[in-house]
Amino acid sequence: MATITKETVPSQSTVKEKIHGMLGVNRQDAKLSLVLISIAFIAFLLGGILGLVQGLNRAGLFELPSWLNYYQVLTGHGVLLVLVFSTTFTIGYFYAAFSHTLGGLLPKVRKMGWAGLGLMVIGVVFVATTIIMGDASVMYTFYPPMQASPWFYVGLVFLVLGIWLYAFGAFINVAHWRKNHRGEHLPLLAYFGVGVFVLLFIGSFGVTAEVLYIIPWAFGWIDTINVMLTRTLFWSFGHTLVNIWYLAAVSSWYVAIPKLIGGKVFNDSLARLVVILSVVLNITGGFHHQIIDPGINEGIKFMHVFMSLSIGFPSMMTAFAMFATFERTGRKKGAKGLLGWVKVLPWGDVRFLAPMIAMISFIPAGAGGIAQTNNQLDQVVHNTMWIVGHFHLTLGVSVVVSFCGIVYWLVPHLSKRVLTPKMNKLGVIQTLIWTLGMIFMAGSMHIVGLAGSPRRTSYTTYGDNATALGWDPYLFFLAIGGTLLIIGCVLMFYIVFHLMFKAPKGETAFPIAEQEEGAHATPYWTERWTVWIILMLAIVAMAYVIPLVDMIFNAPPGSPPFRTW
Amino acid sequence: MKQAIYGLILYVFLILPPVASLAESVMTIHMHMQMPLLVVVGFLFTPFLKQTFPNFFVQWNAKGVPGILLFMVITVYWMLPRAMDEALNIRAIETFKFISLPFFAGVPLRDSWSKMNRLWKSITFIFLTLTYGMIGILYILTPIQLCNNYLMLEQKTLGWSSLVTALCFLAYLILNVTIDKSKYE
Repeated sequence: MATITKETVPSQSTVKEKIHGMLGVNRQDAKLSLVLISIAFIAFLLGGILGLVQGLNRAGLFELPSWLNYYQVLTGHGVLLVLVFSTTFTIGYFYAAFSHTLGGLLPKVRKMGWAGLGLMVIGVVFVATTIIMGDASVMYTFYPPMQASPWFYVGLVFLVLGIWLYAFGAFINVAHWRKNHRGEHLPLLAYFGVGVFVLLFIGSFGVTAEVLYIIPWAFGWIDTINVMLTRTLFWSFGHTLVNIWYLAAVSSWYVAIPKLIGGKVFNDSLARLVVILSVVLNITGGFHHQIIDPGINEGIKFMHVFMSLSIGFPSMMTAFAMFATFERTGRKKGAKGLLGWVKVLPWGDVRFLAPMIAMISFIPAGAGGIAQTNNQLDQVVHNTMWIVGHFHLTLGVSVVVSFCGIVYWLVPHLSKRVLTPKMNKLGVIQTLIWTLGMIFMAGSMHIVGLAGSPRRTSYTTYGDNATALGWDPYLFFLAIGGTLLIIGCVLMFYIVFHLMFKAPKGETAFPIAEQEEGAHATPYWTERWTVWIILMLAIVAMAYVIPLVDMIFNAPPGSPPFRTW
Repeated sequence: MKQAIYGLILYVFLILPPVASLAESVMTIHMHMQMPLLVVVGFLFTPFLKQTFPNFFVQWNAKGVPGILLFMVITVYWMLPRAMDEALNIRAIETFKFISLPFFAGVPLRDSWSKMNRLWKSITFIFLTLTYGMIGILYILTPIQLCNNYLMLEQKTLGWSSLVTALCFLAYLILNVTIDKSKYE
C-alpha cells in the first residue's frame, strides 16, 4: 500500500496560507463561527431554562401556568438543545477548524455558510413559532401519529437544507485544499470535520424522506401514515446525530488536549481509523433506539445488536489512545509509579478539566449504552427515566462539557482575546457545578428509571399509588440537580459572551497537537473517502433494506393524526 | 499468517450450524451477508496460500484474468435462485458453497486484483454492477416465487437489497470516473 506523508511530499503552502499563519485568525471566518456559537449558547440558555421548569414540574415542586403545557416545554427543551445547540456549535467549531487548518475558508464557502445560517434561522423560526403557539408539542422526535402543525415540519426542511449547505461548503473547501496540497494528508482536525459533514449529509437522508412523507399528511393531503416507517427513518438520523456530536467532542480530545497538556498526538493513523469506523458503522446503530418497537422481528433486532455494538470499537480505541497520551505526557514530565502521571495533569486548567470530566463520564455513559443495546436489558428500562438519565450523561456531560472545554480556547482565539486566570477559575467552578448537577440529575434518573418511573410523562402520583410515591425522593434529587445545572448554564452563558466581548484583548493559539517524533507514517488509504462513503452506504443498505421492505409491504393500515395535548 | 488465522476463525464461525442456519433463515442475509463473508474468508487466506503455493498462482493466474473469470462464474452461480434452494436442501451443495466462495471466489479475487490492469478492474466493477442490478430487478418484478425456501416478500427484499448494492457500485464507478485523482494525490 502506497504511503505518502508530509515528510515525503514537500509542502506547497500558498502565500495566502503564510499570511494567514502570520496574522492569525481570519476575521470574516471568525465572525461566521462566532455567530454560530452565539446562537448555540442562546439556545443552550433557553433550553436550560425550559429544562429546569420541566424538572421542577416532574418532581411535583412547580405547577406550570395554564398557558404552558408540559409537553410543549419538553419539545422546546429537546429541539433547542438536541437540534439547535448541538448542530450550530458543531458547525461553528468545524468551520473555525477548517479556516485554521486549511488556510482560511474560500469566499464562496463563507457565503454558503451565511446562506446556510439564514436557512437554519428560518427553520428555527418556523419550528419555534409552532411550538410556542402550542401547535407542535410532539417532542423533538416528532413521532407520528402525533401530528404537529405542517409548518413545524416545513421548518425542519429548512433546517436540513441549511445543514446541507454547510456540508457542501465543507466538501468544497477540503477539495480545494487537497488540490493545492497533492499527496498530503488532510490535517487531522479537518479530517474529523470531513467525517462529521459526511455523516450530517448522508445521515439526514432518512429524516428528509420522513419529513417529506409527513408534510402531505400534516397538510391533510393524505389521510394516514405508516408509523413504523417514520420512526425507523427518524432514528437512522437521530442516532447519527448523537454520534456527530460525539465525533466533534472526540476531535478536540485527539487534537487539542494533547497540545494543552504539553503532549503529542498518540497515533495519527489510529485517530483517522476512529473517524473512518465512526462514519462507516454509525447510521446502522439507529435501530437500537427501536428495540421495543413491535413491528420489527427478533431476528432483525438480534442482527442489529451487533451493528450497534460495533460502534463501541472506535470508542474503546479512543479511550485507549487518550489515556496513553496522558500517561506518556505525565511520564515525560517526570511522573513516577503506576499512576503518578495522574497527579501531574493540569487539573486546574479548565481547558483540560472540562474535557477530562467529559471523557470520564463517557465510561459509565458508554457502558449504559452497551447495556441498552441488548434486547433483554433494554426491555427493563426502555420506556423509563433510565433512558433520559443515559442521554443526559452522554449528551449532557460527555458532549456538552467537551463543547464547553472547546469554548475556553476557541472563542478567545476567534475574538482575539485571552482566557484570564479569573475566567479560568470561574470555568472550573462552572464545570464542577455542572458535573455535580448532572450526577444528581442523571444519577437519580437512572435509579428512578430502574424503579419503573416512566419517561415522557408529566408529574402524576397515579392516584397516590405506593410505587409511584416511592419515586418522589429521586425526583426531588432530580430537581436539585436541575437547579445546579441552571446555575452552570447561566455561568456558561456568561463565560461565552465574556470571552467574546469583554475579556482582555490578545492572541490565543488554536491548539493543534503534533505527532510524536519518529511516528509511523499514516497510510494514504485513510484519505480514500470514496471507498469509505460507498462502504458506509453498503452497510446502511444491509441494515435497512430488510426491515424497510417489510414495513412498507407488510404495512398495517396507516394511522390518522392524533393531537394528544 | 495472522490473516489466515483470522480467516480460519471466521470460517469456523460461519460454518457452525446455529450460525449457518440463522444466516440462511433470511434470504437477504444468506446472499448478502453469509456469502460475502465467505468471500472475505478467502481474502484472508490468500497471503498464506500464495506463500505456500507460490508457483501455482504464478502459473495459473499470471495476469489475474483466469482468477477473475473464475470469480465471476462462481458469483453468478450463487446468484441463481435454484443454487440458493439447493444449498438449503442438498448437503453436498451446501458443502460446495462453503468451499467455492472462499477458495474459488475470495482467493482468486484477491490474487487477481493486484495483477489486473485498469481495464480488467473496470470490467469487474461493471460486471458486478450489472449482475447485481439485473438480479435486483428480476427479484423485484418477478410475480412468482423463485425459491421454494423463501417467501415472496423475502424475494422482493433481496431484490431491493441487490439493487441498492448495484447503486453503490455505480456510485463508486461514477465517482472514480468523474474525480481526477491526479489533481489530489
